[in-house]
Amino acid sequence: MLYSILILNKAGGLIYQNEVNPGLNKLSTNDYLVLAGSLHGIHAIGAQLAPNIGDKTVPASVEEFNRNQNSSIMSTFKAQSPNTNRSGLQNIETSLFNLYIFQTVTGLKFMLITAPNPAEHKGELNKQYDMAHELFRQLYMLYSDFVMKDPFYSLDMPIKNPLFDTKVRELVN
Amino acid sequence: MSRKAVGDDIWKNNVEKINSELFTLTYGSVVAQLCRDFNNNYHEVNNQLDKMGYNIGLRLIEEFLAKTGVRRCQTFKETSEVISKLGFKIFLNIQPTIENWSADGKSCSLILPEPNPLTEFVELPITADDKIAKELWYSQILCGVLRGALQMVQLDCDVQFVKDVLRGDDRTELRLKLNKILKDEVPAGED
Amino acid sequence: MSEDIILPSATSLSKLTIHDTSKTGFGYNPAIGPISNSITSETSSILINKRTITLSSAPSIYERNITNKKPVEINLSSLSFLFCEIVNWTHGQSRGIHDLEMKLNKLGYSIGQRYLELIKLRDGIKLNKRDLKIIDILHFIHGSFWKSIFGKHANELEKSQDVPNEYMIIENMPLLAKFINIPKDYADLNCGAFVAGIIEGALDSAGFYVNVTAHSVPMDGFPLRTVFLMKFDQSCLIRESIH
Repeated sequence: MLYSILILNKAGGLIYQNEVNPGLNKLSTNDYLVLAGSLHGIHAIGAQLAPNIGDKTVPASVEEFNRNQNSSIMSTFKAQSPNTNRSGLQNIETSLFNLYIFQTVTGLKFMLITAPNPAEHKGELNKQYDMAHELFRQLYMLYSDFVMKDPFYSLDMPIKNPLFDTKVRELVN
Repeated sequence: MSRKAVGDDIWKNNVEKINSELFTLTYGSVVAQLCRDFNNNYHEVNNQLDKMGYNIGLRLIEEFLAKTGVRRCQTFKETSEVISKLGFKIFLNIQPTIENWSADGKSCSLILPEPNPLTEFVELPITADDKIAKELWYSQILCGVLRGALQMVQLDCDVQFVKDVLRGDDRTELRLKLNKILKDEVPAGED
Repeated sequence: MSEDIILPSATSLSKLTIHDTSKTGFGYNPAIGPISNSITSETSSILINKRTITLSSAPSIYERNITNKKPVEINLSSLSFLFCEIVNWTHGQSRGIHDLEMKLNKLGYSIGQRYLELIKLRDGIKLNKRDLKIIDILHFIHGSFWKSIFGKHANELEKSQDVPNEYMIIENMPLLAKFINIPKDYADLNCGAFVAGIIEGALDSAGFYVNVTAHSVPMDGFPLRTVFLMKFDQSCLIRESIH
């Protein structure tokens, strides 16, 4: 169950927040901004704290990984995941909710807040993260269609766009 | 809801395609209008086209990344290949060739095939105004697009045309030069 | 006119004598007769040594086949991004919504003029006849014209029951408006003004003088549905009544 979607600009400013399903307590606008800013900071510090997080199963260096992914896309023309969050904070598990963080090459962050894992799947965060991946990719494509191609949107500013809201709702429901 | 999964062919499954002619004529209409707006001051027209392209590039990069999943490139050579084989292919359905690398590996030429979706049907009206063939870079918008898109992935570049078939040159050549990598602006958490 | 239309090699033909030769060594001299055209060692050496500039090196665009060219496909996004920037730029230049729509209309207009020619040319002379009635040209615009540009026919073609010179073309899913969200304070704006300009340019060029505007008329399931309202010039109606 997906509760909420947040989009942060490169500087960590909250530009979009959509409670797609009820369940979370409402925060004030200001609290959401603080939440976004804090997570942005923790994500960055996390990357310095433990540079090998999320890297345990991949022996290759980042450079090699990136090069391989690019050359595979070029030779096969097949799409890959646009998530580049490797060493930053990826997810938070609590008994009341889970939170996943994705990042693009341009520095945008997409955060998804979901219901907690059912008891039998506790501790399978990485698996859940992979599952949330596809949703992130779809959201990123909606963003590139309905936000980036809107002449009345100014970059890095809050997204107030009913058309985008509709598309997001269609995607998650 | 359309589910386009990872692993799908980008051009076949993930790109909504249209006949290129509406695009060609629309771009032509813009260039012609700018020539009127700026009283045939073609340097100004070039500048304006470059600016418009830059604005497009800042936005277009997101779709490019979302649809391909391309990662940060390790060398400028890799970047140029991604631009030609994926970028130009996905948006204009052409694949320019890359040549003329400088010794330091920081600048190269993209040779655009002719005709391409910007220049189809186009002939510069040299009989009405002969300075147009010396001053106007008809496809200048592409330079802006590349500059804007590359800046969003922290690459500061200069992009300019050096030859254009529309001007009577033997080919259409675009020069791409990497000034510097904006390392401080690379988002945390990638490595 | 006192001036000679074609300059002869001598000031006047009547003054030519048998001793006159043309300056270039070429040219028919009526005073000499056919012998003036014969190739001599002198004239051939002029021909061989003549310095020339090539005028036909680059293949001209007129040599390309325009009528049965294979259609090239590109990404709709390229057009959408370009159109987004067109609206952005036009917006910055205009004084209000009406002015913005006028400017978009103007940009579309020249496209309509050209597209009409292109499509009619491709139809070929044999299959083509000039549309003389408003209803015929509107069927063309709503049908094959729309299809060539947008890949599909427009959804509806209607005639106003109250006003004799008003017709409507209705598009449920306008291609160019697909990604554009009109902000509240621009409630009346319809970027379809650009497409209205395309229609206007085509109809004007076909001799049906008209004014076209775009209006949002959403319907369930079609939030971007747009009505293109066409008001024909009275002269078109008068012509119609004579035939």
